[in-house]
Amino acid sequence: MSYREYVIGAYAVFAAFLAWDFLVPRLRLARARRNIVLRAKREAARKNGNPA
Amino acid sequence: MNPVLLWFHQLGSPPVFDRFAARWVPVGFVLGLLTMAIGLYGALFVVPADYQQGDSFRILYIHVPAAWMSLFVYGLMAFYAVIALVWHIKLCEVLAMACAPIGALFTAVTLATGSIWGKPMWGTWWDWDPRLTSELVLLFLYLGVIGLNAAIEDRRAAARAAGFLAIVGVVLLPVIRYSVTWWNSLHQGATIKLFGESTMDASMTWPLWVMVLATKFWFVGSLLQRARADNLEREAGKDWARAAAGVER
Amino acid sequence: MSAPSLLAAARAQALRDLRLVWRRRGDAAQPLLFALMVVALFPLALGADPQQLARIAPGVLWVAVLLASLLTLDTLYRSDVEDGSLEQMLLAPVPLAWLLAVRVGVHWFTASLPLVVVTPLLAELLFLPADLLPVLMASLLLGTPLLSLMGAVVAALTVGIRRSGMLLALLALPLFLPVLVFGAGSVMAAAQGLPWIGALLLLGAGLALALVLAPLAAAAAIRIALN
Repeated sequence: MSYREYVIGAYAVFAAFLAWDFLVPRLRLARARRNIVLRAKREAARKNGNPA
Repeated sequence: MNPVLLWFHQLGSPPVFDRFAARWVPVGFVLGLLTMAIGLYGALFVVPADYQQGDSFRILYIHVPAAWMSLFVYGLMAFYAVIALVWHIKLCEVLAMACAPIGALFTAVTLATGSIWGKPMWGTWWDWDPRLTSELVLLFLYLGVIGLNAAIEDRRAAARAAGFLAIVGVVLLPVIRYSVTWWNSLHQGATIKLFGESTMDASMTWPLWVMVLATKFWFVGSLLQRARADNLEREAGKDWARAAAGVER
Repeated sequence: MSAPSLLAAARAQALRDLRLVWRRRGDAAQPLLFALMVVALFPLALGADPQQLARIAPGVLWVAVLLASLLTLDTLYRSDVEDGSLEQMLLAPVPLAWLLAVRVGVHWFTASLPLVVVTPLLAELLFLPADLLPVLMASLLLGTPLLSLMGAVVAALTVGIRRSGMLLALLALPLFLPVLVFGAGSVMAAAQGLPWIGALLLLGAGLALALVLAPLAAAAAIRIALN
């Protein structure tokens, strides 16, 4: 019986989980940075008086 | 003051930690990937096939490190939680909560690889053997910590509550493990499954230790990255965070 | 004015809680009905073969009692959080852990003990062999207080969260597992003719530990959750 598919499957699952673990925090960090910049822009606009 | 202690105190400051994490995250990931490459090469090409299990035992080289990591990370999470609750150190709250998803991931890998390994061995994708069942309960404990942390709005209160839950869990973990083992012996008789505990020659174990080291490096990278993101989110209004995010002055 | 003695405080707390339960005594029947319904689900789902039901009876009865106890956990602190009495308990001159111990005791007495008392009737519905009933009752008498005590700790953590019922159940179940394993396991062991006293002794040891540690842990958890 060929066990190759199982070995490949297991290693692929491992790689997939690691990729997930790598990507999710990066995306979260990028989102946090973007939110900070947007929030700063909103507060600056509020202080300068919104163009009304 | 003792320089090591001073370094710890300084690390507790959010901007210092952000710089520290930014520096060491790539180191963790790169070292992790390099050692993983060595370990996986050894696991797949160097080590000869097992006479009983054929090639499927090569799954051991990811299943066992993942299982050990799942337990190690839970212990570390509880350790950080204790420090956070006793000494009210914000950084340890962040680190404890950052541990949870990584530990849950490693637990999921353990369960998935255990299931995939079990199919050619036992003929079924799942068998209620004590080790896999304990890992399943461990996954529930991790998900509970993650869920409780997400359910409370105030980030600090959430981390403290979830940290407390982690501590309760770590105290009960041996009890759960023992109860599952007892349950297994009661219902399935004393069938011992050769699941990675078969005596292996030393020449076949070295990739295992390399993989154990690799997962530790990877964990450091991932932990610091997640902690850095959480740290930045919590301090979103502060000046240092704005400077770090690149807000034009 | 000096602080009240522990016994006086316990008596006051117990009387208050009992009075509150008495005012909603209709609600106290709900766990019993729930357990009855859970027990009824199994013959409806699996078929009414007496031998099959007798074999799964200990496990089903234990699961029914466990789930019913789980659902009552939400009421442990809910009303006190809503009307602010929990903060009063925090500020009381008597240790919070002591008040919580009394609270959990009353809760077990009014919510779980009726379940245990009703169990022989439920056991009849599942054709449980009569010689297993004493072991089952013993395991439930040791196990349900343990569930209440551990549940009190977890419920304390979710005290500030709205609509936390499902989350509370998910958090509590992994911790309930050993109690279920040893409780139902003792009866299953007795059914197979194997020694069953060991599991009960383990439950007893766990209960002794929980009686001391759980109120302290619950008090710490309440402080964490309310701050």
